[in-house]
Amino acid sequence: MSEAHHDLEGHDHEGVKPSAEAGRHAARIRAIEVLLVEKGVLTEEDVRRQIEYMEARSPANGAKLVARAWVDPGFKARLLSDTKAAALELGIDASGPVEFVTVENTPEVHNLIVCTLCSCYPRAILGRPPDWYKSFNYRSRAVNEPRAAMREFGLEMGDDVEVAVHDSSADVRYLVLPMRPPGTEGMSEEELAGLVTRDCLIGVSVPRFEAVRTG
Amino acid sequence: MTGVHDLGGSSGAGPIDKSQHETEDWERLADAVTVALDKKGLKTTDEHRRAIESLDPERYKKLGYYERWIAATELLLVEKGILTREEIDEKAAELEENWR
Repeated sequence: MSEAHHDLEGHDHEGVKPSAEAGRHAARIRAIEVLLVEKGVLTEEDVRRQIEYMEARSPANGAKLVARAWVDPGFKARLLSDTKAAALELGIDASGPVEFVTVENTPEVHNLIVCTLCSCYPRAILGRPPDWYKSFNYRSRAVNEPRAAMREFGLEMGDDVEVAVHDSSADVRYLVLPMRPPGTEGMSEEELAGLVTRDCLIGVSVPRFEAVRTG
Repeated sequence: MTGVHDLGGSSGAGPIDKSQHETEDWERLADAVTVALDKKGLKTTDEHRRAIESLDPERYKKLGYYERWIAATELLLVEKGILTREEIDEKAAELEENWR
């Protein structure tokens, strides 16, 4: 098995950030866009709308879903059984052919999301994935040493907690429903959402709350 | 034998680089053109993946993320007869000339 895999040694840019020849590639995609518009295959409006669609998506959507699930058990059940429909309840339109699955962290099981083959991610909800999610090293290590990978993000998982790694595909994208931290009982839904970062929704972090009172 | 894209558990992986680069306009454009073509029904996510996964392994490793997307979108447009390699070459050269 190991010899069938490609050796990653010698990677510096991790296959994510623009290469030294980015200018040439930028010219090619602009050329492709101009030609597609000239031929009537796409309109400038189609392209602009798609750019706006992606810009409108962000991890804040995921935080909203999580905070609502924490305060509303009925919503939580719907989120876990039909993520797309639950998202639509909060005005988050993730319609399309892709399925979304929300996986719930419990005291016994912690969930971690990866796409070993490329970069599949719940983009329709959270926007574009971070660079590290697409990096060769994360894609490789999340499946064979998830605890070590999470440790690099400052997340230490006890041996008594099972780590479930979910490998996303083009057709099924996962997001994590983290546990509500203790001490947050009096917080509003909006305040709760503020505790949920993008990394919590991927599973390399968990929401943290320290009751600090000043003055 | 797995392909170059099949990275799960591959040997020699090092620390995860957590730095983030700011998405450039041409990367947004690559994203938008690719997905807009999918939404028009002119290609599919699976075709896009197949095109990326069929890149020469050395090229796959050398290119940035959206550079692989551009290579894949170009390949599929040429395969489907929507654009020719020659007209893309010509238009890209023209654009690069104008930027100088």
